[in-house]
Amino acid sequence: MENKKITAKDLINIGIFAAIYFVVLFVVAMIGFFPPFMVALCFICPIATGIPFMLYMTKVHTFGQLTIFGVVMGLANMLIGDQWITLAFAVICGLLADLICLSGKYRSGSLAVLGYAVFSIWTFGKMLPLFIMRDSYFQAMGQGYGKEYAEAVLKLTSNWVFPIILVSGFIGGLIGAFIGRAVLKKHFERAGIA
Amino acid sequence: MNTFLHTTAGKRHLRLDPRTKFALILCTSFTLVWGMSLIGVMAVVRPALAFVPAILLLFTPRLRVGIVYGILEILCFTAEITVFQSTTGFWNLILLPVCAIITRYMPCVVAAYYMMATTTVSEFIAGMERMNVTQKIVIPLSVMFRFFPTIVREHRCINDAMRMRNITASNPVSMLEYRIVPLIAAVAKIGDELSAAALTRGFGGDVKRSNVCEIGFGVQDIIILLISFGGAFTSILAKVGLI
Repeated sequence: MENKKITAKDLINIGIFAAIYFVVLFVVAMIGFFPPFMVALCFICPIATGIPFMLYMTKVHTFGQLTIFGVVMGLANMLIGDQWITLAFAVICGLLADLICLSGKYRSGSLAVLGYAVFSIWTFGKMLPLFIMRDSYFQAMGQGYGKEYAEAVLKLTSNWVFPIILVSGFIGGLIGAFIGRAVLKKHFERAGIA
Repeated sequence: MNTFLHTTAGKRHLRLDPRTKFALILCTSFTLVWGMSLIGVMAVVRPALAFVPAILLLFTPRLRVGIVYGILEILCFTAEITVFQSTTGFWNLILLPVCAIITRYMPCVVAAYYMMATTTVSEFIAGMERMNVTQKIVIPLSVMFRFFPTIVREHRCINDAMRMRNITASNPVSMLEYRIVPLIAAVAKIGDELSAAALTRGFGGDVKRSNVCEIGFGVQDIIILLISFGGAFTSILAKVGLI
């Protein structure tokens, strides 16, 4: 099984699960427009997307499958209005997750959990402009969304929140992965899908 | 019967090249999401770009979506110009995000909707191949676009079944379990069948596949491309402070 090249079936699988993942993510991310929830998004999204992704993990057995998933996710998010930085972040997280799973030869369950948690950090890329391009971002936001909204977001995103969001993405990923695995055991393995 | 998101390509609409649609979506998202407020040139550029998908939708069988979306945009842009300055506090915090979603994010989503509703998978693949994108990205992306309508349809059926069994939103955990799990199971099964079907048609072979779709740029493409790139360019200039 090792060193196999990515087949057409793998690519189709990526598409299918990327579609489900994206739909779940999109629905959950809708609540993120309101300032109090915005910072929690990195934590909530991975929990919700854990179920489809852990099922996808059972079909991953070649290096590159998670990286391509990241690329597809990044591109799809760019189409609905994210910056290029999301794509870069998604690719990096996908690659890291791929490397983690590769170290267990794509058979280890616990490494799959870890891999998903690492992959989940990519949602952070969606928020990265908040921190890197802070000044111009809030200037634009203050003009576009109004001063009060910008200030509410600004208050919630002072610099010390930066690492917390990163870690919360990782923890959300872990929780999501465990939920996903529980659901996998309860439903999918019995149905013969996983 | 028309189902949500199902492609109606070729029936009655203005034919655009898939690459034009890509450019439109990317420029729309770039200009609207990160664009400045409605001052100076941006007062023209932002609404103009936001209305492009609405106008394009008028040429498809999805007339209604285009009209509803157009009216929403008019309302929210008017609100952004008039009401925002005078409201403060709570209402400002509620109204602003809602209008921001509609004037900034919705155009991208509607443009993406337009692309999905009017592009067949073959056209999509042909367009991507002309741009020399590798197969490893073209296949997942095209499968993904093929699957959005499937997911919506499956979701509706599951929704009906669950409502009949009285599993509603009142219990989030059971809703998650009884909605998402069957959805994933159904879609995974459909996906298996799809990949079997694709393999029998020579997907993933070593030979380069041919494509019957004729794509190319026409007058309408040039107009849309000019609007999109012009909008993105002016928004960059406005951001730098040149205009």
